[in-house]
Amino acid sequence: MSDWGWVAFAYAVAYGSLGVFAGSIAVRIRNTRRSIGETE
Amino acid sequence: MQAQTRNRQWPWVAIVLSLAVAFTLSMVSPADSVQGDLVRIMYVHVPAAWLAYLAFFVTFVGSVGYLITKDLRWDRIAAASAEIGVYFTGLAIALGMIWAKPTWGVWWTWDARLTLTAIMFFVYLGYLALRRTTDDPVVRAGRSSVLGVLGALQIPLVHFSVVWWRTLHQPPSLVRPDGPAIQDPLMLTALTVGVLAFTVVYGSLMVKRIELIKLDDRKVAIEQSIERPVAGEAVTVPDLGASS
Repeated sequence: MSDWGWVAFAYAVAYGSLGVFAGSIAVRIRNTRRSIGETE
Repeated sequence: MQAQTRNRQWPWVAIVLSLAVAFTLSMVSPADSVQGDLVRIMYVHVPAAWLAYLAFFVTFVGSVGYLITKDLRWDRIAAASAEIGVYFTGLAIALGMIWAKPTWGVWWTWDARLTLTAIMFFVYLGYLALRRTTDDPVVRAGRSSVLGVLGALQIPLVHFSVVWWRTLHQPPSLVRPDGPAIQDPLMLTALTVGVLAFTVVYGSLMVKRIELIKLDDRKVAIEQSIERPVAGEAVTVPDLGASS
C-alpha cells in the first residue's frame, strides 16, 4: 500500500470512529429523553 | 424551545468545525523529509494520545473531588472523562499501529511506551467495568474514585517512558525541554491545531456525556419513584363462585 493509502486508512479510522462515538452519545441522549417523556 | 435545542446542538457544531480545520491543515502541510506523507498520521495520533492523558487527568481530578466532598457531580465528571479517555487511548493505539506497519515493518512491538499505554487502556476499561458492578451511585462513586486516583499514576509513567527507558518509540514531539522537535512552521501549526481541535472535541463530548449521565440519573429516579405491584400480574383475584 502507498503512503497515501496508509494516511487514508488512518484518517478513516480516526474520523470514522469519532463519528460513531459521538453519534452513539447523541442517540443515547435522544432515547433517554424519550423514555422519560422529555421533548427534544 | 428552538433556542434550547440550538443550545444543545453547539457541541456537535464545534466538533465538526474544529475537525474540518485540523483536517485541512494536516492535508496541506508538507511531507516530511524522512517519513514522507506518513507524517500526516502524526497529526491525529499525537492529539489522540494527548487527549488520553488529559481525559484521565480530569478523571483523577473528579475522583479526588468526590473523595473530598462526596458530591456526586465530581463523580459524573470523572466517569464521563474516563469513557472518553478510553476511546482516545484506543484510537491512539490503533493509529500508532497503522503508522508503525509501514515505518517499522510491524504492527506492534513490546516497546515500553506501547506496552504501558496498552496497560493504561485496560486499567481504565476496568474502571468502566467497575462502575457497572453496582446500581448504588454512592457505592459506585466511592469504589471508582479510588481506582480513578490510582490509575492516574500511570500518566507520567507512560509519557516519560520514552525518556526513562531505551525505546523504539520516538521521544515527545511537542513538550520537550529543548522545544518542539518539528522545525517546519506549517507542520508545527498542523500538529498544534490538531491538538487544539481534539481538545475542543474532548470538551464538546464531555458536555454531551455529562448531559447523558444526568438524564440517566433522572430516569433511574423516575423508575424508583413509580410504585410497583409486589407480584405484578401473577396475582389474580380468586374466583369464589360469584361468576357461576
